[in-house]
Amino acid sequence: MQIPQDLIETAALKLKSVQSEAEFFQLRAQYLGKKSFVVSSFSMLRDLKSDEKVIAAKELNILKNDLTKLFENALEEIEGRSDIVKLDVTLPADPFLVGSEHPITKISQKIINYFTPLNYQIFSGNEIETDFYNFEALNFPENHPARQMHDTFYLNSNSKSEYLLRTHTSNTQIHAMLSEDLPLYMLSPGRVFRCDSDNTHLPMFTQIEGLVVDEGVTFGDLKGILIDFIEDFFNEKMDVRFRPSYFPFTEPSAEVDIKFGSKGWLEILGCGMVHPNVLNGCNIDTKKFRGFAFGMGVERLAMLYYGVTDIREFYSSNLDFLNQFPS
Amino acid sequence: MKIQYSFLKNFLDTKFSQNRLVDVFTQVGFECESDRDLIEFDVTPNRGDVLSLKGLEREFHAYQAKKTNRKLETTKLSLIKDRKIINQIDDSGCGNYHLMLVKGLQKIKNLDAKKRNFIDSAGIPLIHPLVDLGNYVMLEIGAPMHVFDLNKLDLPINVRFPKSNNNSLEVIGGDLKDIQSSTLTIQDQSGIQAIAGIIGSERSAVSSNTANIAVEAAFFKPETIVNQARKYGLSTDASHRFERGVDPEIQQLALARYLFLLNEIAVYESVKLYYSKSKKTKKKNVHLDIKRFNDFSGLSMKTSQASSILRNLGFDIVTKNSKSLLFNIPSHRFDIALEEDLYEELLRCYGYDNIPVSIPKAGPIIKNKRDDVSDKLRIGLVHAGFKELMHMPFVSKESFEKLNSQDWAAAELQNPINENEPFLRGSLFRSLFNAVNNNVKKGYTSIKVFEVGNVFKKENRDFVQSLHLSGIIYYHDMLQGWSQKKITYDFFSLKAEISKLLQTIGIQNAEFHPARSLSPFNENALDIFLGKQKIGIIGEIDLSITEKSIKKTTFGFEIYPEKISLSFKNPKIKKTSKFPLSTRDINIVIDKSFVFQDVEKVMSQGAIKNLTSFHLVNTFEGKDIPEGFVSMTLRFTFQNNAKSLLESEINRSMQMVLKLLEKRLNAKIRS
Repeated sequence: MQIPQDLIETAALKLKSVQSEAEFFQLRAQYLGKKSFVVSSFSMLRDLKSDEKVIAAKELNILKNDLTKLFENALEEIEGRSDIVKLDVTLPADPFLVGSEHPITKISQKIINYFTPLNYQIFSGNEIETDFYNFEALNFPENHPARQMHDTFYLNSNSKSEYLLRTHTSNTQIHAMLSEDLPLYMLSPGRVFRCDSDNTHLPMFTQIEGLVVDEGVTFGDLKGILIDFIEDFFNEKMDVRFRPSYFPFTEPSAEVDIKFGSKGWLEILGCGMVHPNVLNGCNIDTKKFRGFAFGMGVERLAMLYYGVTDIREFYSSNLDFLNQFPS
Repeated sequence: MKIQYSFLKNFLDTKFSQNRLVDVFTQVGFECESDRDLIEFDVTPNRGDVLSLKGLEREFHAYQAKKTNRKLETTKLSLIKDRKIINQIDDSGCGNYHLMLVKGLQKIKNLDAKKRNFIDSAGIPLIHPLVDLGNYVMLEIGAPMHVFDLNKLDLPINVRFPKSNNNSLEVIGGDLKDIQSSTLTIQDQSGIQAIAGIIGSERSAVSSNTANIAVEAAFFKPETIVNQARKYGLSTDASHRFERGVDPEIQQLALARYLFLLNEIAVYESVKLYYSKSKKTKKKNVHLDIKRFNDFSGLSMKTSQASSILRNLGFDIVTKNSKSLLFNIPSHRFDIALEEDLYEELLRCYGYDNIPVSIPKAGPIIKNKRDDVSDKLRIGLVHAGFKELMHMPFVSKESFEKLNSQDWAAAELQNPINENEPFLRGSLFRSLFNAVNNNVKKGYTSIKVFEVGNVFKKENRDFVQSLHLSGIIYYHDMLQGWSQKKITYDFFSLKAEISKLLQTIGIQNAEFHPARSLSPFNENALDIFLGKQKIGIIGEIDLSITEKSIKKTTFGFEIYPEKISLSFKNPKIKKTSKFPLSTRDINIVIDKSFVFQDVEKVMSQGAIKNLTSFHLVNTFEGKDIPEGFVSMTLRFTFQNNAKSLLESEINRSMQMVLKLLEKRLNAKIRS
């Protein structure tokens, strides 16, 4: 019996061009159906001599097995192929909302992230405060114009102490110095309030205050950490200028300016060596300990960092504005 | 204080450009900026002594490391004490009082154009040559002066506090003020003629007919003047200086200078200078320990350099030894009291920018550092698609009352910015509603926002602040994308969102119970408990509370981060089972007076063998279910740690489950 040598190759070739299951079964019938060469050849075996019969049967069986395997594999492939619906994968994703932190939170966090590796502890403090912690303990003399500069919000109260909305986060210094062990390295972020509102001032804004009370603290230490912080914050070498100023709770006091492109010198924070009256008031031995403190307005830094020109935007809940700050 | 550059330049006898001068003064501590030909100084409130040309000159010379020796030309008079002219001065508010009587004035002409220009550009109106001259001398030397029409005074003068309140006074300019007994006044025999250090009366003001004047130069104490000008709405150049402090020893000089310049613009017949003085204050001395200073600053300054800086500023050495120097404080430097004050003088003249910088130092390691709960919640919400917002805490009475129960007493401001919003918020929701409303108006249809902030409450005599984290979910329309897949947000999405949030930050055992106090939610609300502590509330917003600012179904939540303390305990990890899970479903029908939580409660109480968990597959009401009843399909999961469970074992457990549900909830099994 003559078995065509290229039967398998031809079948495999034809299978490759099969497009659907129907085509497949048609082809399978052609090769393995009743009228197919293999199956019909089996019925012709009886006409052969017995020794020929054995050899031919063996060959036919091998052929049939190979063909069957070939078609089984092909069917699997075709069935698998039929599950795939080709997608236009470039269509848009399902809609989703992207969350993000408020830019003021982000900038606060950026500032905090500089100081926490230096083991500055975070204290958040009271927004409603007594006159004592906001002014008196910070060496603001009673009836001093420095108090007027603060445009304080006062609360209606029937208490003996005068309550107000803190005008700076410096109140937290006093609480911490009275309650914590020395040396003290602290940071107090939070909201502060001034009874003042126009295009460049808001009645509420965010401050971050830093305080260090330790042995051997120098004015050079204060300068050192602030310059390093500023360069870290803006991620570049900056022109930084310290100039004398006045805060009742520091002596000497300084204001820090940075040179910001075409805008020239811009004031970004206030600082100084903690006034001995403040330390004494908190029962700190000024012969042994000294301190420095600094405070910065987060909105101002955020405006410089992001190029925001209107401070009111931060509190406008305008999603068009907020969407521009990625998470 | 505004000073004309050209005038200042001549006074300082310098060639410095305007920009250079601005730079110099800024460097030594007097922030200023150029405004056309003017330099505007923003002098800090401790340095009232610099509010004059003479004051600026001292600072300028100190910067140039030289001592100011130049003296202004004056016409000196001797002092006369006469109680018929000045009877009494109140020591508590007035240090000295000088009155120069000039009689028979004639041919009064204007000050020269340069001086007039200088006064005018300083923002002081030109009024009358005799008054203008007083203002000029104030700008030059720093001593405020007042000129009375002598004919209108009924001498002697008393400087004192009125005996009673409500003294009506017509001040210069014509305004009527009610003078209180806490205000120091200048009185003659007819009554109040001036508010000390602030303004004179219209009655005794100079006019075009004036021929005899009384020129006042006095030292009023800052604590007496401060707040007074504000109280009467009269902020004057004089009050600005007295509040900040005026040199108590320049009054005689100021009058002598006035008289010298008066000769240039008028002729007069006679002049006499009267005075009264309270006890002389002691001169202040302050030590400087140079070693301590160097230790403080990180410098190594020599004693000679330090004393030369201080001498240039007018501090004279009293005594000197190897360790320390004793300096006498000049009368105009009332801001100096401590050694540290001298440190500042030394450092600012040395130049802050010249002080060497040291490497940042770290503090001691912080033990037992805790995660901040609100930070963790904030991050969780951001990941869940929420935008963080921030708002002002001021609210109106009406919106406060809508959101806070009656037993929540408001913290109220005495001096609100907007008188309609005198209260501090007791809830964060008002601003969140507005935020949703404003953004919906702009076309947003799906909004998830939150805020972290303090709310305030008055409690007895104290105030309490508590930290809230509140959020809003307004989820409509837009979230149906091109695929038309239905993405909805309902109460149970909210419950899932908050459950997931809490579990993600490490709170595994929060319980939800139907809420008791509701605002701003409707009845679809749940309190969140951690043990017995309420840590928050979630629910559907009662739209009527939003004052129609929100018109579609909206959900919200409020969490109290301060009430949550995250556990430090490590969880005990159990060995997991290798054997398969088996599940069984049952349908029960229960009376709707029970809620699903009752099912949970019952199941948590019955110790069913091998039961690992159960959950609700679906609920059904309607066909075949009697009215007032609900059908629930429950799926129970069984597993054993040591073996595969036999059918019979599972069946036995299921029997127990059914018995429990029947007994406790009167549940019927539905086939």
